Amino acid sequence: MQLELGCSNNNMASYNLTYEGCNFFRQRLILSTLSGKRVKIRNIRSKDDNPGLRDFEASFIRLMDKITNGTTIEVNQTGTALFYQPGLLYGGAVEHDCNLQRSIGYYLEPLLALAPFMKSPIRAVLRGVTNDQKDPSVDTLKATAIPLMKKFGLDGEGLELKVVKRGMPPGGGGEVLFTCPVRRCIKPVQLSDPGKIKRIRGIAYSVRVSPQIANRMIDSARSILNLFIPDIYIYTDHMKGVHSGKSPGFGLSLVAETINGTFLSAELASNPQGQGDPVQPEDLGKNCAKLLLEEIYRGGCVDSINQSLVLLYMTLGQQDVSKVQLGPLSPYTIEFLRHIRDFFQVIFKIETQNQEEDRKGGEKVLMTCVGAGYTNISKTVK
Amino acid sequence: MEAKDHKKHQKKLSGPKAVRKKNKKQQEQGVEEEKDERRRNPKAFAVQSVVRMARNFHRTQDLKAKKHHIPLVDRTPLEPPPIVVVVVGPPRVGKSTVIRCLIKNFTQQKLSEICGPVTIVSGKKRRLTFIECGNDINTMIDLAKVADLVLMLIDASFGFEMETFEFLNICQVHGFPRIMGVLTHLDSFKNNKQLRKTKKRLKHRFWTEVYQGAKLFYLSGMVHGEYQKQEVRNLGRFISVMKFRPLVWQTSHPYVLADRMEDLTDPEAMRVDPKCDRTVCLYGYLRGSYLKNRSQVHIPGVGDFAVADVSFLPDPCPLPGEQKKRALNEKERLLYAPMSGVGGVVYDKDAVYIDLGGSHANQQQEEPRPTTELVQSLIGTHATLDAKMAASKVSLFSGTAAMTPAEVEDAGDNTSPSESRVFDPQTQRERRRAVFADEDEEEDESEGDSEGEEEEEEEEEDEGEGERESGSESEEEEEDDGAESEGEDNEGEKILKGKEEQMTQGAPVPVKRRRVEEEEEEGKKGENEVPAFADSEDDLELSEGEEESEGEELETEEEEEEEEEEKERDRDSERGGQGVADSGHCSEEEEEEDDDNDEEEEEESGASEMGEDLPKSSNGVKGSNVKPEQEKMEEEGILCFETEGALRWKEGLAQKAADVFLRQQQTKVNLRKLVYGTVAEEEEDEGEDEEELGGLFRVSRPEKGKRQRADGLDCTRYPPDGTHDWDQEEMLNSIRDCFVTGKWEEGKDAATLLKEDEDMYGDFEDLETGEVHKGKSEKKEDQEEEPSGEEDEDEEKEEEVMKVYDDEEERKKARLEKKRRLKERFNSEYDEGDATYFDDLKEEMHKQAELNRAEFEDVDDDLRVQYEGFRPGMYVRLEIPAVPCEFVTNFDPHYPVILGGLGASEGNVGYLQMRLKKHRWHGRILKTRDPLIMSLGWRRFQTIPLYHIEDHNGRHRLLKYTPLHMHCGATIWGPITPQGTGFLAVQSVAGTQSGFRIAATGVVLDLDKSVTIVKKLKLIGYPYKIFKNTAFIKGMFNTVLEVAKFEGASLRTVSGVRGQIKKALRTPLGAYRATFEDRLLMSDIVFLRSWFPVSVPQLYNPVTSLLRPVGEKDSWTGMKTVGQLKYEQGIRRQPEKDSLYKPVVRAKRHFNPLHIPKQLQKALPFKSKPKMTEKKGKVPRDLQRPAVIREPHEKKVAALLTALSTVHSYKKKKARAKQRLQHKGFLRQKEQEEMDKLKRQKEARKKMYRVMGQKEKKQQKSSLRGARNDD
Repeated sequence: MQLELGCSNNNMASYNLTYEGCNFFRQRLILSTLSGKRVKIRNIRSKDDNPGLRDFEASFIRLMDKITNGTTIEVNQTGTALFYQPGLLYGGAVEHDCNLQRSIGYYLEPLLALAPFMKSPIRAVLRGVTNDQKDPSVDTLKATAIPLMKKFGLDGEGLELKVVKRGMPPGGGGEVLFTCPVRRCIKPVQLSDPGKIKRIRGIAYSVRVSPQIANRMIDSARSILNLFIPDIYIYTDHMKGVHSGKSPGFGLSLVAETINGTFLSAELASNPQGQGDPVQPEDLGKNCAKLLLEEIYRGGCVDSINQSLVLLYMTLGQQDVSKVQLGPLSPYTIEFLRHIRDFFQVIFKIETQNQEEDRKGGEKVLMTCVGAGYTNISKTVK
Repeated sequence: MEAKDHKKHQKKLSGPKAVRKKNKKQQEQGVEEEKDERRRNPKAFAVQSVVRMARNFHRTQDLKAKKHHIPLVDRTPLEPPPIVVVVVGPPRVGKSTVIRCLIKNFTQQKLSEICGPVTIVSGKKRRLTFIECGNDINTMIDLAKVADLVLMLIDASFGFEMETFEFLNICQVHGFPRIMGVLTHLDSFKNNKQLRKTKKRLKHRFWTEVYQGAKLFYLSGMVHGEYQKQEVRNLGRFISVMKFRPLVWQTSHPYVLADRMEDLTDPEAMRVDPKCDRTVCLYGYLRGSYLKNRSQVHIPGVGDFAVADVSFLPDPCPLPGEQKKRALNEKERLLYAPMSGVGGVVYDKDAVYIDLGGSHANQQQEEPRPTTELVQSLIGTHATLDAKMAASKVSLFSGTAAMTPAEVEDAGDNTSPSESRVFDPQTQRERRRAVFADEDEEEDESEGDSEGEEEEEEEEEDEGEGERESGSESEEEEEDDGAESEGEDNEGEKILKGKEEQMTQGAPVPVKRRRVEEEEEEGKKGENEVPAFADSEDDLELSEGEEESEGEELETEEEEEEEEEEKERDRDSERGGQGVADSGHCSEEEEEEDDDNDEEEEEESGASEMGEDLPKSSNGVKGSNVKPEQEKMEEEGILCFETEGALRWKEGLAQKAADVFLRQQQTKVNLRKLVYGTVAEEEEDEGEDEEELGGLFRVSRPEKGKRQRADGLDCTRYPPDGTHDWDQEEMLNSIRDCFVTGKWEEGKDAATLLKEDEDMYGDFEDLETGEVHKGKSEKKEDQEEEPSGEEDEDEEKEEEVMKVYDDEEERKKARLEKKRRLKERFNSEYDEGDATYFDDLKEEMHKQAELNRAEFEDVDDDLRVQYEGFRPGMYVRLEIPAVPCEFVTNFDPHYPVILGGLGASEGNVGYLQMRLKKHRWHGRILKTRDPLIMSLGWRRFQTIPLYHIEDHNGRHRLLKYTPLHMHCGATIWGPITPQGTGFLAVQSVAGTQSGFRIAATGVVLDLDKSVTIVKKLKLIGYPYKIFKNTAFIKGMFNTVLEVAKFEGASLRTVSGVRGQIKKALRTPLGAYRATFEDRLLMSDIVFLRSWFPVSVPQLYNPVTSLLRPVGEKDSWTGMKTVGQLKYEQGIRRQPEKDSLYKPVVRAKRHFNPLHIPKQLQKALPFKSKPKMTEKKGKVPRDLQRPAVIREPHEKKVAALLTALSTVHSYKKKKARAKQRLQHKGFLRQKEQEEMDKLKRQKEARKKMYRVMGQKEKKQQKSSLRGARNDD
């Protein structure tokens, strides 16, 4: 990261932030949009055989352009450098055909982060791959991120994430509807006790394959999870016809809910058609259950895919102390923390908490920060 | 000794105490207490009307609810900044005198000249900053934004002046601080009655402006050029007990009212270019909210700047410490006013300035006593400060020789010259004074401004590395070693480095090190090469850090550990000493290093004890389990040839942090450092397997690792590393307690909760059965007691007593505990019953406020400022680069310098949509596109507004002028400011104009990057061919394309016929076919009504009034209006010819005769048929009757006749009316008679019928009888 002072427009002094490489592309753009600071990204896959931005990144840029007003994006000819001058978040009805290289989760995550700060409530229809092996699936985000957002005062009618059609890679063809209300400011939270897990829920989905596969996955997953808790219910979701997308596939998404309203999730999807060996549903179910156990082992009040979301909301809160207990920080989160420091000058107090007893999983991290006092500058007052 | 005559006791004659006493007395005397009215006469107070009662209730509830404010989180700091008291008023009203008197009242000091803000301690918990506000509207606007309390001086002999009202309106717009009016010049009234009247009049006017019952002070007459002591004291008392309501803008933005300014620019640069941009340091108390380092600020009157560095300094005017006293003593009545030249010594981060009198020596004579105190105290600290600084700095290099000044200078040369000037001498001093090692670390601001920072950062980096204990250390060593051995290397930096090492290392350590390193070298066989290039500064710093870390690692013998510990200690002390006043992003790591180092130390010692045979080359910090992977990394050959890319270390860290954390190594990884630490990574990779070809060229290889990190997969998923095998029972057990089925914590499990409940509700009596259930605990106690009594009989009495005593204690405790719990429960229940939403909200806010206070309370200040930012109440120093030189050269302390912090994206510009109303006192309405100076947020700027109004369908229609008494919309191009922020507008800030200067006020509604204002546009066309309802129109457009764009648009003609555009015609160009609801005339004009988007001119011109020369600061003029320019240059507008009025000449209109077709005529009824009658001919002359002209006599006769006939006709009329009346009476009479007649007849008939009926009955009866007889 590099700072350079630019006084380009009308006596306004503002920083240019410069980064390198295509990694953490989304967080840089969303933080830039929220903070109003310009961002330059250089050397995007510059040494790669196929240099420059990929299609899915270009698609993400296009999505950003759709939900904002007045954004300037300049990409150089090879696509290895990008200059992003943020505009104001607009929201409203947005339709976007996501690139099939990444799933909708890739596009949805930044939307979740930006949605409360729009001018008008967002109503986004995203089309593409709903579940894949790289990104958090729509089901998992629905089960974990939405309840998390509710804790920050984003409740009410408007908050909804609906899987209209399911689409598996490589064909895609899924559709997701996401709506979110807007807020002027966000409440601080204190999430320091995750509580004990009271139930496990999940969705076993299968499209364009035998409906029995879902049941097989469920049985195998239950065989492992039943050792811990009897309250397990895994829904089967077998979509047919137009709702089933263009490619066959199946998968399992599990969520453990605690008595304090913490949701820990794990998921696994089958290999895309024509890529890799076919996966046995039993194996997938078992592996997914083990992933859930791993996630429980990591613990915290927020599961690993939503760490950055919760930290962002905490940063954007009022000037009050927020706390959250997390499991081990993921590399993505660590980079996110650095970016938060660059964009908002907010530094988190990070304390490791040792479990006094051994039977509650691994080490936890308590993150504390004072909010930046951010207010939604897009929202209109009447 | 003479007994002091005490003040006599004064009996209370009124108030509750007096009443109570009276009652008591009466009771004693046996007089029956007069009963309460209500009790004596209950009927009078009985409920008369339920409705009224309900209404009363509603009303009281309404009033109660009205009093509620929205609860806010209380974010006031524990030690608040001084309260800003702004003294305003027209010229010669006595502003300075009031300030002087108040200062004298509080501090017993006399200031002859007041210049800039003056801070004083006014009480145990309150400080005040007085500032005088001139009559420049710029100053008034700026100060209204920072004021907590406004003392509004009014010349009573003159009355209110425009400035007063202007200032009140400015205040209103920017949040309305507390306002207190002060009437002066009251001694000019000779007549007492007139005085009273004036007071009353002014008071009521003041009340209407501020609020009913606003405080207004009267300062009658002056004594020796000062106001009367008692009155000033009262005023001071009011100020010091006043309470404040937080203002939105102030609490959401940090700001500093600068009370000191220093120019830090390099003198050389100034000599070369006297107009070069300056680096300026501004000092003041931070107010409002938290200020983050490297944030943006706006200085009203100068512009926007990015703060280069913020640091906090010891409070120059601190509140007295804790004591039980009621009043302050003399020492604590401090005064701080650097701009006025008071407080002879001023601190800086890295220097102390002593004012040697000079220009204002006379002032110091005036107030000798407190100043000397201040000076003495400051001098005292100054001396120790130096020592401490020195101590803290030196300990870093303990065991090494102190640096010579020359070397220091060498080192300093590498940095930017501007900084070094300030910094160099300091370092010299530091390094020399090695002796005072273990002093405390109160207040040393030892580090140079930014260089110090850098240095620290680098140090941290190095030390961080040291801790991160990977293979890197050894490699670095090797590098160093290489540097040493190849001391003749050409690069000067290297030499320097080598030197430094020699200097800094103590004699014994290096020897050992070298030996070790040699061994390593042998082991590694030439893998280690000198890094081809490295940042010089880094290297410099590296050497220090490395040595330390290496020292730790390599010394395996226990004797050496002692040394090491010493070192540690030294370093600790050094770290404690460092960075008291350090800002931003660095010093926190140091703090934590302490712990880390300690840990390392322990581990290391353990490791060394365990296995001394461990190869020394591998650093034993980690324990053996770490090694393999490092080796693996080495094998992978992660190379890093380039100079330090800013990103590289970060990326590595991310990976590393993840790895390290997951593995759950025994060593505690300092997460904070992993995340935020500025640890240089390149050393890790560098020199690992660098290959040199012929000592000159290097193999260029793609840096796989780095690229992978920078260009890695952007994904939030965090897949497990597979170390946990979830098939094993122990792994499963490790998370057993995460489920509700697992074990619960002490105090949370069901058994405990149940027991608690039992304790509380244990005792109860079953009312039906009469059975008494007792709590378990008590039973137990009873049981315990009995046996104890029995068993212990034989035992010694003492013991028994003891035990009983213990029991008693326990029971007492238990009882108390129970009581407490019951009380708690009762409280909670009680509150619940009564709690409203408002109460809940308040409670929540309160909790949050508590948490905010408590969270960072025990954190050290320099660490705390990084988490929170600098908190309000701190005395801060802000370094601001690139300030225009005029700010310094034209600096005038009479004008306030305010640093207003800007929130996220408030430094950007965009379109602002606002609601605006022309001020009712402003003389003229405002014209669209006339430049206007706005005060919005912290800023004052000139911009071009467009006024508009919203139509019913949401369209923003452009207005040419603002409406007179109505709000309208205004859109400007300006700084992004949060919605709901108020603003005001003036047309010019230069000089004083007649009339009320505030042109408009309003509020920001919306921010956007585009605008939607439209104005009406009428396109005109003419028909050139008319068919039935279709017409061809030309002249509206120029091309076919334009027409195509408007296809389907609605049209209208002057005569009101509506139509629609259908299609373009090929010729003439721009013509089209249109249909109408009726046939057009060739004379019709066709309109197309459309809306044309208007663009807002992008003018944002900050008012740079502070950059003007001294004495001309109120003469800033920006862009002029067109009107002004025309007026100045005498240009008159040439009206368009079309707009001129000409006499209307209308051709006579000729109508053709109406022609009705024959068919139609036939069908028409006769009445409507055109008649074939001939026109009436003229009456022939002989048939015309002449006019009759009467003679006067005839006239008289005629008049008489008319009169007579009138009388006659009247009489006739009267007679007829009478007759009609009579006739009516007659008719009525007749009717009556008729009725009577009928009645009579009826009766007669009735009689007759009755008789007849009876007869018939008789007959029947007789006939029946007869028949019977017959039988």
